[in-house]
Amino acid sequence: MKKKVLLMGASGSGKTSMRSLIFSNNPASLTARLGATIDVEQNHVRFLGDLILNLWDCGGQDAFMDSYLTTQRSTIFQHVGVMIYVFDIESQGMNKDLEYYRDCLEGLKQYSPEAAVFLLVHKMDLAREPKNVVFEKKKRELEEASGEGAVTVFGTSIYDESLYKAWSSIVHTLIPNASVLSRHLTTFAAACSATEVVLFERTTFLVIATSSPVTPPSLPGATAEQTDLDRHELNPTRYERTSELVKAFKHSCSRVREEFHSLEMELYDFTAVLDEMTRNTYVLVIVHDPTIETAALKLNIRMARRKFEELQGDSLLS
Amino acid sequence: NGHKSLSGDGVTRTKILLLGLRRAGKTSIQQVLFNNLPPKQTFYLETTMRIVKHTFDTVIPLEIWDCPGNITVETLGAPLSQFATMIFVIDIRDLYNQPISKLVEFIVAAYQANPDMSLEVFVHKAEKLQEDDKIENFRQIHERVSDRLLDIAPEYEQVQLNFHLTSVYDHSLHEAFSKVLHKLVDSLPYLEDLLNVFCANSQSPKAFLFDTTSRLYIATDASPVDSATFNLCCDYLQMLNSFGTLYKSAAADARRPLPTTPPPSASSTSSPSRGPTASDPGTPTGTEGTSTPNATTLRPSRDLFYPSASTSLHPSTPGTTLTYHLITPQLALLALLPTSVYEGRRGLIEFNVVFFREGVQEISQVEKEARTGG
Ligand SMILES: Nc1nc2c(ncn2[C@@H]2O[C@H](COP(=O)(O)OP(=O)(O)OP(=O)(O)O)[C@@H](O)[C@H]2O)c(=O)[nH]1
Ligand SMILES: Nc1nc2c(ncn2[C@@H]2O[C@H](COP(=O)(O)OP(=O)(O)O)[C@@H](O)[C@H]2O)c(=O)[nH]1
Ligand SMILES: [Mg+2]
Repeated sequence: MKKKVLLMGASGSGKTSMRSLIFSNNPASLTARLGATIDVEQNHVRFLGDLILNLWDCGGQDAFMDSYLTTQRSTIFQHVGVMIYVFDIESQGMNKDLEYYRDCLEGLKQYSPEAAVFLLVHKMDLAREPKNVVFEKKKRELEEASGEGAVTVFGTSIYDESLYKAWSSIVHTLIPNASVLSRHLTTFAAACSATEVVLFERTTFLVIATSSPVTPPSLPGATAEQTDLDRHELNPTRYERTSELVKAFKHSCSRVREEFHSLEMELYDFTAVLDEMTRNTYVLVIVHDPTIETAALKLNIRMARRKFEELQGDSLLS
Repeated sequence: NGHKSLSGDGVTRTKILLLGLRRAGKTSIQQVLFNNLPPKQTFYLETTMRIVKHTFDTVIPLEIWDCPGNITVETLGAPLSQFATMIFVIDIRDLYNQPISKLVEFIVAAYQANPDMSLEVFVHKAEKLQEDDKIENFRQIHERVSDRLLDIAPEYEQVQLNFHLTSVYDHSLHEAFSKVLHKLVDSLPYLEDLLNVFCANSQSPKAFLFDTTSRLYIATDASPVDSATFNLCCDYLQMLNSFGTLYKSAAADARRPLPTTPPPSASSTSSPSRGPTASDPGTPTGTEGTSTPNATTLRPSRDLFYPSASTSLHPSTPGTTLTYHLITPQLALLALLPTSVYEGRRGLIEFNVVFFREGVQEISQVEKEARTGG
């Protein structure tokens, strides 16, 4: 199953940089060497088993943009699963950016009316303090420019974990039945006496599913597991921080021609195992019960592998 | 020992002088190493106007003097003989007279005050230049300093100067500062012996004793240090440090239980016991040698919990596993092990770690007693 993902935005807004971080495991410091993208660079990224992301990194110089909107219009905008539009927080030409953005929305409406739209307010590391105020203002401005279509806005930077948060949630929308995976992770967590279990895609380390679906705790439907998790008040940025940490370490390993394979930790505050779950995924099991040993967790992971291979196949077929 | 002096907290601290022109990067170096400042943030540091003394406790207690760029031997306010080490930071692009004169001036004064002082030159911001220019500038700075010293007097030929290429943006700074530190640790030969024994008994090709927060290595075994391996260990430690607090739980009963009474201090008679184990009968367990922690504290003692971690670096055999074992509250043992040894002989490795830990704790205790005059 192929999903087409459009990556658009003004030249220099950071599209190729984020692609090279997420999909090629390059460090942020190397992005300064990237040249402007000429026309469209297409990438096929095998994401989960049979799910292939067909990433269209569209060079943002005016001449290219004009051609996307005219002669290449149908090629660009048809069969789109997701459009990601990147706005540089420091952009000097916001009016022009918005104009191109609205034109792209039009194209999308015409050829792929079902496509999801994500807006990234990028280079947040450069934003003036207070950053959240700057971001909220930008977000409102973008939501207004988007008309009635539903859009999701994230603030991102290649220098921190925010990029993983945004991309995890983008990719999440492309996985049919992610909720089934989630339910099985909840069962698996209980079997491990784990506080939480997180499933990552193997190469990007984006979060695919967790044992704790995000339901506001106030909802009556909140399960016992969720209230138990609430009690721990875990850091809300833990998923994306984990992606970032592991990606950075994977990069360190590759520099010495080693390949990261698995990690286990018995630290003061928790015990954790990060190991292969299926051919395309890694699982992180977090335990706060000090009597549980990593060896037990590893055994449980080994026993759960077959089930998850099957599930993963299923979740993609439907 | 003239260069160790009693500081306010009643501990004899080894003093390190950090010198260099304005904007050379002294404060950045101090903050990145000892205050966990992300390298990019050094951009926002303000110019140091007065001497700032930073204390840092690792295997030995340190006092680092971060000096303003315009300081002179006269305005230092303390005799140079008090310092065990002088580090002069010079921007790699500064090939001019001024920084080199200043450097030579301090070398001469330091050498006269205490010929045994270690004199270190950090040729800094090295990542700014391409490899060829980097080597060339480094060579030129080295040569000019040597020439100038010889011009002053032929006797300065024998001054032992150590040059290092450093940058806050990679681990070259950690490696250089580690080497500076090694000259200050009197117990280094004993620590190295313990590491050699550990490596020999565990089939480890390389092991480091790291200070966990600064990521400086205090000692390593006799095999040569290759920068790539050192960098990997540094990165691993950095990841573990970040993970350490990431999944911290607010629910008190979820934490490892704290001992209610002060734990007995480490004694040399303790046997390598792992403490009582309690495993959930309902969950599958089985691998020999994984320790089940039962208590945690900031003061190490034999039956207490010591964090550990391991990462396997290759799915197939032979494969390498990188292990981490906390040894004292500040120090951790990082070792490369063949994965087959780590997985097949876990009990032996754990035993070797316990033996190593007892040795290091004993040495630390001796250092501490000597420092507090106890
Ligand atoms: N400060 C900061 N700089 C960034 C960030 N992301 C990217 N950059 C920098 O922005 C510059 C341009 O990035 P590119 O990824 O080439 O931009 P692009 O959107 O692909 O540009 P075109 O291919 O011309 O459309 C590079 O120098 C990056 O290093 C960020 O989050 N923060
Ligand atoms: N490129 C680069 N810049 C550095 C490095 N270390 C420090 N700097 C920068 O040099 C400037 C001066 O640093 P600072 O520590 O205040 O210098 P001090 O006056 O010697 O204390 C700051 O802008 C730092 O960001 C380095 O290794 N590489
Ligand atoms: Mg580009």
